[in-house]
Amino acid sequence: MANVTVTIDGQRIEVEEGMYILQAAEQLGIKIPTLCYYPHMAPYAACRICAVEARDNKGWTKIVTACNYPVWDGLHVVTDTPRVLNARRVNLEMLLSRCAKVPVLARLAEEFGITEPRWGQGDDTCIKCGLCVRICDEVVGAHALAFADRGINREISTPFKLESQDCILCGACARYCPTGHIQMTDIEDRILHSELMLGPNAAIRIPFRQAIPNVPRIYGNQCIHMKTGGCMLCAKVCPKECIDFNDRDQIEEIEVGAVVVATGFADFDPTPMKQYGYGKYPNVISALEFEQMNNAASPTSGKIVLEDGSEPRSIAILHCIGSRDENQHKYCSRVCCMYALKFAHLVKEKTSAEVYQLYIDMRAFGKGYEEFYHRILDEGVNVIRGKGAEVVPAQSNRSEEGGLLVCCEDTLIGKYRQIPVDMVVLCTALEARADAADLARKLSISKGADGWFIEAHPKLAPVSTTTDGVFLAGACQGPKDIPDSVAQGSAAACQALRLLSMGEVMLDGAYAVITEELCSGCKICNGLCPYTAISFDETKKVSVVNAALCKACGTCVAACPSGAIQGRHFTDDQIYAQIEGILA
Amino acid sequence: MTPRKLTSSADLTQLRDQLQKQRQGDRTIITICAGTGCLACGCESVAQAFRRELAESRLEADVEIKTTGCHGFCERGPLVVIQPEGIFYQKVKATDVKLIVDQTIKHGQLVNKLLYRDPQTKVVISKEHEIPFYKKQMRLIFGKNGYMDPTSIHDYIALGGYAAAAKTLLKMKPEDVIEEVKKSGLRGRGGGGFLTGKKWATCRKAPGEPKYIICNADEGDPGAFMDRSLCEGNPHAVLEGMLIGAYAIGSHEGFIYVRNEYPLAVKNLNIAIEHAQEYGLLGKNILGSGFDFDIEISRGGGAFVCGESTALMASLEGKIGEPRAKYIHTVEQGLWDKPSNLNNVETWANVPLVIEKGGEWYASIGTDNSKGTKVFALTGKVNNTGLVEVPMGISLREIIYDIGGGCPRNKRFKAVQTGGPSGGTLIVETAEPMIHESLVAHGDIRDEDEALSLLDLPVDFDALTKAGSMMGSGGMIVMDQDSCMVDVAKYFIHFLQEESCGKCLPCREGLRIMLEILTRITEGKGTLKDLDTLEEVSQVMIDTSLCQLGGSAPNPVLSTLRYFRHEYLAHIVDKRCPAGVCKELVSHAIDETCNGCHVCFEPCPTNAIIGKTKELHVIDQQKCIQCGACFQVCRFDSIKRVKRGEGDAVQSRAKELWKPRARKEASAATV
Repeated sequence: MANVTVTIDGQRIEVEEGMYILQAAEQLGIKIPTLCYYPHMAPYAACRICAVEARDNKGWTKIVTACNYPVWDGLHVVTDTPRVLNARRVNLEMLLSRCAKVPVLARLAEEFGITEPRWGQGDDTCIKCGLCVRICDEVVGAHALAFADRGINREISTPFKLESQDCILCGACARYCPTGHIQMTDIEDRILHSELMLGPNAAIRIPFRQAIPNVPRIYGNQCIHMKTGGCMLCAKVCPKECIDFNDRDQIEEIEVGAVVVATGFADFDPTPMKQYGYGKYPNVISALEFEQMNNAASPTSGKIVLEDGSEPRSIAILHCIGSRDENQHKYCSRVCCMYALKFAHLVKEKTSAEVYQLYIDMRAFGKGYEEFYHRILDEGVNVIRGKGAEVVPAQSNRSEEGGLLVCCEDTLIGKYRQIPVDMVVLCTALEARADAADLARKLSISKGADGWFIEAHPKLAPVSTTTDGVFLAGACQGPKDIPDSVAQGSAAACQALRLLSMGEVMLDGAYAVITEELCSGCKICNGLCPYTAISFDETKKVSVVNAALCKACGTCVAACPSGAIQGRHFTDDQIYAQIEGILA
Repeated sequence: MTPRKLTSSADLTQLRDQLQKQRQGDRTIITICAGTGCLACGCESVAQAFRRELAESRLEADVEIKTTGCHGFCERGPLVVIQPEGIFYQKVKATDVKLIVDQTIKHGQLVNKLLYRDPQTKVVISKEHEIPFYKKQMRLIFGKNGYMDPTSIHDYIALGGYAAAAKTLLKMKPEDVIEEVKKSGLRGRGGGGFLTGKKWATCRKAPGEPKYIICNADEGDPGAFMDRSLCEGNPHAVLEGMLIGAYAIGSHEGFIYVRNEYPLAVKNLNIAIEHAQEYGLLGKNILGSGFDFDIEISRGGGAFVCGESTALMASLEGKIGEPRAKYIHTVEQGLWDKPSNLNNVETWANVPLVIEKGGEWYASIGTDNSKGTKVFALTGKVNNTGLVEVPMGISLREIIYDIGGGCPRNKRFKAVQTGGPSGGTLIVETAEPMIHESLVAHGDIRDEDEALSLLDLPVDFDALTKAGSMMGSGGMIVMDQDSCMVDVAKYFIHFLQEESCGKCLPCREGLRIMLEILTRITEGKGTLKDLDTLEEVSQVMIDTSLCQLGGSAPNPVLSTLRYFRHEYLAHIVDKRCPAGVCKELVSHAIDETCNGCHVCFEPCPTNAIIGKTKELHVIDQQKCIQCGACFQVCRFDSIKRVKRGEGDAVQSRAKELWKPRARKEASAATV
């Protein structure tokens, strides 16, 4: 495209032909006020606030809108003639007569010198700029909003003023409305604790402050482009152009010498435990949900609230939900007692609610933990020794004290209690991830009956496994808290590094050996080896034992039909010799 | 005759000759005007009565009945013109038909009571072309209406229709066509007055395919019905014009955007298109020329703003009828962003004439800068309302007085509004003393200057614009001494406020504020500051509105302020409406000229009139709601609209002065 010379307020600039005055002025640093303009959409020119005077050098002059007037060679623009300034001022004053309370207009009014609008002070908040309609139409592509009726009755509406079937709830209209006329509300107007997020909820976001890698990722279920094929504003504005919507998952193969398994734990889902009403009654939440709500970056800004947004008057914290349970997990999840006490402390700090702590034993085993427990007692938390038995909705006679009734046996006073509370927090167990078995098989490590991976030795080798080169760290080996996880992580890393830094591996003398000439390539031994020590050589068509992995268990020796495998130091002859020696 | 495709110019000529031979001779044809106006007056039953009568008298074989398009003299409808003599019967009722058949058809005698009687000279005129209403007109475009059944393509062809199209397609090059139109000086008839030839040339040059031809039949101005009558009465002229234009520009697809409120126009256009397609005059390979062109009708949804070209195109595309900036012209990027040529109905109807008779011939009619004829819809306080077609250059005075017959009941002419609400400005009798004063106060002239009466200006695009006025699309609303100019301004602003699309701030909010102010002024609650606001807001609307609806909306306000400032001041300062229109400021009272005829008694909705026949009547000032019904019916001008509260004074004076009238004197007082 050709370049043209334009003069704005006396300053010359060369720009591409067809560019609009507004952009050319921006390049010169000249600010022209706008109300209905948005850089990533076609200009609408409805508010007329960006009016400027266009001239040629032959005496022709015309008032035009800067946002959509294409420049041409020799164009002179003046942005502040008395005629233009008066037009802007009168237009704004006319708008104020209908929408006097709108903040963005009040700011402009100050700029234009309007103190007393002369023609009324209406309290409408829609300035009919059309940004919401255009964003939904052009950028989002959902076409859920449009203008209806005409003249002063022109209004933003959905088809037949009914709830739109096409709205994808992206919130773009509310985000770009300059007056706050459009608000996003929950259709049911509730706070769903299970859907609270740790931070901004844009479709492209850094998941939480401490995420690694600390870069934004796109959430497909929220992304407008994934739904309508439109938008892609993130890619347009990224200065490094690092957003590629055509990216797909790729599978990479890496050869390594050591593996550290740190796959963590899963949160127990208390829904099957019908007695607690999780998912059935409102305000019965899990510990993780409480944690999310409590985070300062949460949508409630860290406030502890019920589903209807009000502050609870009383909260019950139930320990051992899913742990120490004959019917669920028999083990103790180790961390819950301490975090439950932390919750109690936070509730006391942030609200004036009563706290009821229902426990079996208070496991405060670590450094400063017992002291913290005593501090909680001092704060007036009601600790009740008795596992919470049941949570039911309050009957009418006690519902003014709380919506839920927690039933338990207070074993210290030997009485059955029904405590009315507004909110129940369930301290759910830590359990192994659902894919633990699968992972164990892939890595050839063992997992216990309760799903945690098995260490080489419970006391002396807590981070190694029976498979050389594979190490464990953190909760995947068993429930543990952060200090312990960190310690294990260091230990596993250290072990792995030791292995790698030696450059060579010390082997046990005893390992299996395959005689190539005798091997028929049947591959029976490959699948049998519990340590995945045998692989198949495709070129030679024989099996090969990796001496570093072999633990000399002898399974393959016994299985090989052609007797091609021998266990070193445990050959048939050697064993026969031993037997003969004993019998002699 | 069964329709058959005409595949060559020879075919068309042959058909024309055949049809003309059929129509030769002195066969009597009864033409009955069946335009929307006469339809509303009951011409259907007149036509039925004729068919019945002729059947009974066994004359169907010898006498033809033809229902035609609008004849133009709408004030006198239903109209029946008997050809070939041209006997003109007006205000014909179904009960008159037997008389016409018996006397005129059978025995060649005139039915005097149905003939036109000139209200000034009292002379009875029997021939259409001798009637003063028609005498000064030059009915080049509209004249054919009287001889054609609009649903008959044969009538159109017999009168020479499509000859221009044949000449264009088969003997001329597109550039030649454009040259001819340029030579003719034809300017757009929709109000803009843009040179048609120049527009076509730009569209032809513009890059992009396909190109579109559009006919703007949205005619939204209140009181304008020229385009309607053209579409109803002579649809083929429009089609032929569009065909010629399409060939010149290189377009194969045409649209006629008709406003929703014109069902008869849509019907007749549809029939015309169907017939044209059957005869191969639309569609593929027209007349064997190899040129394809077809037309589709698109109906509006009932929005005045869709008469604006960009809003019209948005509506055609199926989008909301909203204008857009015209920094990029529609001839380059219009319908679906392709080069589009939009012209008004009347412009298209002129095109076949230009090609048939030549650009030079066309340019010989009219003035230097405005060629050809213009159709005006003369309405309001004028004796001969209807459609008039006059050559450019005729003066407004001639139109209103010679053709229009002046204001009825000898009332004084006040102003005429041309060009509709959007753009219309007043043309006034500037020699009037009060108007002269107003102009001096406005700063337009010095006191000693004699203002040239705008009524003597020639009807010419440029002459009117130079005088601060505008020709507009052809609506002409005449106002007399009983019209309140503030009320007129309020009427137009109210209309525009309802029709504003609401997209741009100045028009949407400005019209709201102006209407609120004008309403207050008519209710006696106005202030002098309001006049400053009106002028300030008007200027901003003119400067910054997105389209010409808002851009010229202030014109009625500004021109009434310019010429009739004294009326505004009377409303604001004196709380008085000089014309006696604004209800809150007026009291109706009967003065001593009352004839006691008792006519006003019936129409009064609140039974406020007290009086017996032959006695002085009195209006109960408490019961009267100022509806003005009595004012409309009083033949003696005895009902006076005075300043609110002064009714009692008038009526007590009347009581003192009133004398019973003798019968003879009563008839002398009749207007």
